[in-house]
Amino acid sequence: MRMARKIRVIISKVGLDGHDRGAKVVAALLREAGMEVVYLGMYQTPEGIVQAAIDEDVDVIGVSYLSGEHLIYTPKIVEEMKRNGLDDLLFVVGGSFPPEDISVMKKMGADEVFRGGSLTDSLVNYIRENVRQMH
Amino acid sequence: MLMGKKPDKREIVSYEEANWEDYLKAYYDKPQSPRTWSGFEVKEIYTPEDRANEDYEQDIGDAGKFPFTRGIHSDMFRGRYWTRREVVGIGSPADTHKRAAFCFEQGGTGLNTIADITYEMGLDPDHPWAQNEVGLTGVNISSIRDMEKLVGDIPLDRVSWSLITASTAAAATMAQYVAIAQHKGYDIGILRGSIQNDPIHFRYCGFRPACPLDLSIKLGSDVMEFCTRNMPRWYYTTVNMYDLREQGITAPQEVAFGFGIAMCYIEELLRRGLRIDEFAPRFTFYVSCHIDFFEEIAKIRAARRMWARLMRDKYGAKDPRSMQFRFAVHTAGCSLIPQQPLNNLVRISFEALAAVLGGVQSLHCCSYDEPMCLPSERGHLQALRTQQIVAYETGVTHVADPLGGSYYVESLTDKVEEEALKIMKQVEEIGGMEEAIRTEWLDGQFEREAIKRQKEIDNGDKLVVGANIFTSEPDTSTPLGVQRIPKQSARQQIQGVRRLKKSRDVRKLSDAINHLRDDATEGRNTIPAMIEATKAFATTAELLGTVRQAYGYSYDPLNVIESPFN
Repeated sequence: MRMARKIRVIISKVGLDGHDRGAKVVAALLREAGMEVVYLGMYQTPEGIVQAAIDEDVDVIGVSYLSGEHLIYTPKIVEEMKRNGLDDLLFVVGGSFPPEDISVMKKMGADEVFRGGSLTDSLVNYIRENVRQMH
Repeated sequence: MLMGKKPDKREIVSYEEANWEDYLKAYYDKPQSPRTWSGFEVKEIYTPEDRANEDYEQDIGDAGKFPFTRGIHSDMFRGRYWTRREVVGIGSPADTHKRAAFCFEQGGTGLNTIADITYEMGLDPDHPWAQNEVGLTGVNISSIRDMEKLVGDIPLDRVSWSLITASTAAAATMAQYVAIAQHKGYDIGILRGSIQNDPIHFRYCGFRPACPLDLSIKLGSDVMEFCTRNMPRWYYTTVNMYDLREQGITAPQEVAFGFGIAMCYIEELLRRGLRIDEFAPRFTFYVSCHIDFFEEIAKIRAARRMWARLMRDKYGAKDPRSMQFRFAVHTAGCSLIPQQPLNNLVRISFEALAAVLGGVQSLHCCSYDEPMCLPSERGHLQALRTQQIVAYETGVTHVADPLGGSYYVESLTDKVEEEALKIMKQVEEIGGMEEAIRTEWLDGQFEREAIKRQKEIDNGDKLVVGANIFTSEPDTSTPLGVQRIPKQSARQQIQGVRRLKKSRDVRKLSDAINHLRDDATEGRNTIPAMIEATKAFATTAELLGTVRQAYGYSYDPLNVIESPFN
């Protein structure tokens, strides 16, 4: 019997935002939940994140924004994903945003949005239930 | 059901479905664990027995007297309320000036401006990486022109201005502030205020690649030395324990790590030949006030006592002002959540009250909307009103250290001190704070604690209303409106710096830059040359890039652009 492949996730910051504590915690807790996590860290570009997603053959891209840059970078990442045929990957956004921007980001192409105060289980369950594993 | 109202079917169904069994259980609820936020197990009651070994004069003392456990002034708030100083920083210098003026108009009493990410990294707004993020997290400043707009009509000789900036950028900020003050004809010897200038702490806010440690400490110490000699009323380092706490660490860790970092600067200044009493009175701290009310008060009291003893016993300070732990409080941003956001107003009130009962010198209350966006005008106003209600209505300001002598608070103060000293000893055994940083021991501590905090919320060990208890359907809008950064502000900043770079006197500028490069290369204090270069319209990135190059680093922290002066 073939073993089910572990869910593979990229967690990344984008642009200059240095608030990386949340992203690191999420990366650690997803690992504990049995996923394989590639933590890209800070100063990433949309192109770099998508390239890493291809190289690492991930199922999920998770990006953390805490500096009000979410409406600038979300469409850029989605566009880059489409350009590379990664539309089937799950794109999850985390960080600090006003509730008004959640639906905006979803319209832009984010699959789900998690803010501060979210419990780890809600994120883990969301990924497990929605990941579109092709393997 | 209301009188005279016809019962409708839906209402009756909902009553049938109501889960009264569950509702009524709450009547018997009680605190689930007798532990403080930082994990100290506390007793049911504290009595005189817990204080049997206390020596009041030695360990506590009146407010205004060594070891200052009860406050640094004998009359505390009867002499003057704390400074009500809300952090402001949005978009362009003009946007920020406007909001700062609004805060004054509404009764704020101190200025507190924070720079944006691009500035804090030492990038001009026309840098390819900066363009998307100009002004998003604070005010964008690239030249003396921007400083001029930020200051506007503010009388610099009469206000107290706190400049929040980062890492290597602090040297540029100080130079730009001095340059504008001199340009406007002020004697810098009378300027009052503070600059964050805590080059180490920013490594832990995720700015590592932009600030090599040796250069950060060198420039930070340049600021301290320059101010010691030229700006006697200026507080030239604010050791930012607050940002450390925001990483998820405990109250005693906040004090221990903060003091460890302060000691790095003290030792560098002593190496430069300054005397402890010459500079220690100008050290200030930025402290968090988290949600555990008594623990935070105990932490502040413990920090005061520890600082007094550290200065006297380890560094041989003689001047009592060197032994006084002066601090501002930032209520804990990380205690706020975006769910049920108006609850944040209540959290902030408790945290502000703890700060005041702890004897704070200057206070920033978070805005309730901080887990969602930068403070909106109404968010700022509410934060300020919170401070004003504590000051003018509650009556807690009449008496110095009103909780002093409480069996519990005194015992908890001892407990926090004991634990913080234990951690400081551990750091000493590693080889001191610089070594703890170099070996990433400190990184490991932050990592471990942050994960622990999230797990505590995940498994319900720590309860947060709206997150893991008393949750409700998510809000769909921000109650007092969302603060957006005007798009044209970023555009103006980018165009402004481009225009500036084309319109300067090139010879004057390159002379000033050469002077700065020489001073940096030869290890002299860089601030005078930075002031001169700022007056010749050098930009933030040019000041810092020139110094970086002199120290053998790339001109551009992100290594994307070349120096225009090569």
